[in-house]
Amino acid sequence: MREGVLQTSALSKRYGATVALSDVSLTIAQGEVHAILGENGAGKSTLVKILSGVVRSNSGGMTLAGEAYDPHSISRARERGVATAFQELSLIPNMTVGENLLLPRASRRSFWPDSRSSILHRSADVLREWQVADIAPDAIVEDLSLAERQRVEITRALSHASRLLILDEPTAALPDPEWLFEQIRRLTARGVAVMYISHRLGEVREICERATVLRNGQTIDTVDLSGVDDDGIFAMMVGRSPDSAFSEPVAARPDAEVIVDVRGLSVGKVRSLDLSLKAGEIVGLAALEGQGQQDLFRALGGAARPGDGKITVGGQAATLGSPRRALRAGAGIAFVPEERKTEGIFANLTAASNIALPEISRASHAGIVYAGLEKNVSREVASKVALSPRYLGFNVGSLSGGNQQKVLLARALITGAKCLVLFDPARGVDVGTKQSIYAMMRDFVAGGGTILFYSSELSELVHLSSRCLVMYGGRLVADVAREELTEERLLAAAHGHSHEMKVAV
Amino acid sequence: MASTQINSGAQSRALPTMRQVVESAFPIIVIYLVMATIYSVVQPSALSLYSIESLFNNSLPLMLAAAGATFVILQGGFDLSVAGVISLANVVVAVAPIEGPLGALANFAMVVAIGLVVGAVNGYVVAYLRIQAIAATLATMIICKGVALLVLGAPGGYVSDFMAYELTASIFGAVPIAVVIAVAVMMFWSVFRTTNSGRSLLSVGQDEHAAALSGIDVAKARFMSFLWAGAFYGAAGYMLAAQTATGNPNGGDPFLLLCFAAVALGGTAFGGGRGGVTASLFGAATLMLMQKVLFAVGVSSFYTGVIQGAIMILAVLFSAFVQAATSRRNTP
Repeated sequence: MREGVLQTSALSKRYGATVALSDVSLTIAQGEVHAILGENGAGKSTLVKILSGVVRSNSGGMTLAGEAYDPHSISRARERGVATAFQELSLIPNMTVGENLLLPRASRRSFWPDSRSSILHRSADVLREWQVADIAPDAIVEDLSLAERQRVEITRALSHASRLLILDEPTAALPDPEWLFEQIRRLTARGVAVMYISHRLGEVREICERATVLRNGQTIDTVDLSGVDDDGIFAMMVGRSPDSAFSEPVAARPDAEVIVDVRGLSVGKVRSLDLSLKAGEIVGLAALEGQGQQDLFRALGGAARPGDGKITVGGQAATLGSPRRALRAGAGIAFVPEERKTEGIFANLTAASNIALPEISRASHAGIVYAGLEKNVSREVASKVALSPRYLGFNVGSLSGGNQQKVLLARALITGAKCLVLFDPARGVDVGTKQSIYAMMRDFVAGGGTILFYSSELSELVHLSSRCLVMYGGRLVADVAREELTEERLLAAAHGHSHEMKVAV
Repeated sequence: MASTQINSGAQSRALPTMRQVVESAFPIIVIYLVMATIYSVVQPSALSLYSIESLFNNSLPLMLAAAGATFVILQGGFDLSVAGVISLANVVVAVAPIEGPLGALANFAMVVAIGLVVGAVNGYVVAYLRIQAIAATLATMIICKGVALLVLGAPGGYVSDFMAYELTASIFGAVPIAVVIAVAVMMFWSVFRTTNSGRSLLSVGQDEHAAALSGIDVAKARFMSFLWAGAFYGAAGYMLAAQTATGNPNGGDPFLLLCFAAVALGGTAFGGGRGGVTASLFGAATLMLMQKVLFAVGVSSFYTGVIQGAIMILAVLFSAFVQAATSRRNTP
């Protein structure tokens, strides 16, 4: 065993009540390329942030090259030889490639600038060292393609990494990883360790020797990649969750009416997508982060204007484009967005006011809204989501996250829409609320409605969906029928695994 | 792998792109020159040294204030304290005039110190305590105005002869000192913007998150921008005192809105990251020159505000249009 460069033990991080990391222990050896694998929300990004000095851990210890390591800023981490190429790219758009490569100290002296040519020369040296021949040091970053920007980001990290290089989804925008792999090999030959985070297992197997699997913020195991097959890795990523939380799923009758029909939809990352939702079915959607699911949901909910395509609701062609139009379209689509705090809720109004908002005319006489009427109007739907009537008079801001979510769902129900589009409806709520939400969803489709929902939890998709779609790179890559639904199957498809892939409806 | 190969790469360019030209101070300089030409045609006496001196002496306080505000706006912030600091600097110079060139220097040091203290308070509260800039700087503005009234309850006082006469005159009887100061500020900015602090400032305004991930100390960059702003506001108050030769505890009030107008006219984006001090200097000079032009062509002063506002909207629309036109090219 080679000497360990980085060692973490029982690392944990909480954000308020949310536990992002609870127990991460791993060792990365000198000159090793070590993969970190895990589902969305397993804690990969939090681990990256802690190691690169963006956030600090709450407890646990880290050592780097034998000395204690607890960076409180990016620069401090760099001083210790840890550099990160971030997934979200951290380049300043209107500066040159050269300036970006050398930030935050483009000039060597503090109070006097280096000449433009000196900056160009030093950055050209960096580019040359890492074999980037086709990007000019004086090109402006915002003029570059995404792939070029990603290479600049990686090059900057390469140039700072003297002990550990962290690559967070480095190939997300790279059409060809060969350049990256070549640089990784050159770097590791010098004894620098690389932490490689990617959801592309093929790449991981090509470049990495060992992998550490995270699940729910905990280290599950560190394995030799040569000794375990893909299914084994997926099983570790998914884990085994108790099935008892879910009752038997519902299925649509084959002759059920089609409520929403989407043809050739293009919006944001979504490319010519076809989709149809029938009465009586709950359709799940699985996807890794950023595959276009937000765009699809926002388009259906009317929060984003589709670029192209046809959406038919209840047999009528619909031009969505605003949530109001989406509600009015044919049988109506009600959308519950992802960010309930920022997009959904009026924290300073009562729960009843929030729920009754779409039907405000029913809660008013002669244009004046009465609190009592609001409560009457909202009471019925509140019971459908098991929201206790005593909360109706409270300000929504003072309710728990779970009850806030119930308020939002009740508001979606009160519109009378036949189609609910729910983005991760049970995220971050307690188990009891989850059960109420699941029950509400089943009741809703039993009453002739249809639901499309996205969830970041695979177990939820498996147990709740009549069928489950999988989205990858803006396209639906699989439509998994009820009988074949397993978490492993969904995970493989969500990772763009090509074998066994079926083209969606 | 010679460096020549890199320099001849596909994306290497010797000439600035259209967008760089438009985002620089170039458009506002053109507008300024056009307006100056119109002015000299409708008012031939404008070309006398006396008129030029008085025009620049009138403009300089606003130019300095706008230059200061630009530092804060470039990092994506907001600073209302300008009105308070100018008033305070103005009255301090008027109640404690010190004669002679060294006295003028001492007075200058006093006002810059005042500006730095107020800037440090603003910067600390906004950058480190993360209080909303608009609330924090509104408070410091009110405090400064209050202190200015305590120092001098009503317009009055006097400034040293050196300030009142020498600083508003011309060097060698040809170049107004106000122009020298403005050029010095431009030169300072052209150097500062390429220092590490200058790059940090612009980076934070461009994309705070990316700047932080690039290793830039975001809070420090914010803090420093308020310091620079305070120093420039102090200098603006100082030049206002020199020009009016007296103190006025409300002297800074008109600067509050005009200062933002000048920055906007110069083309600096209020979201931060794009623009510069030179553009704001010309923006301020253009606003002042516009008043003269309108007066010279006989437009009633009641219309001045309407026309200034309309030109500002056109300038902002123009920069938004350029922004949209040039960024569309880059989206897939």
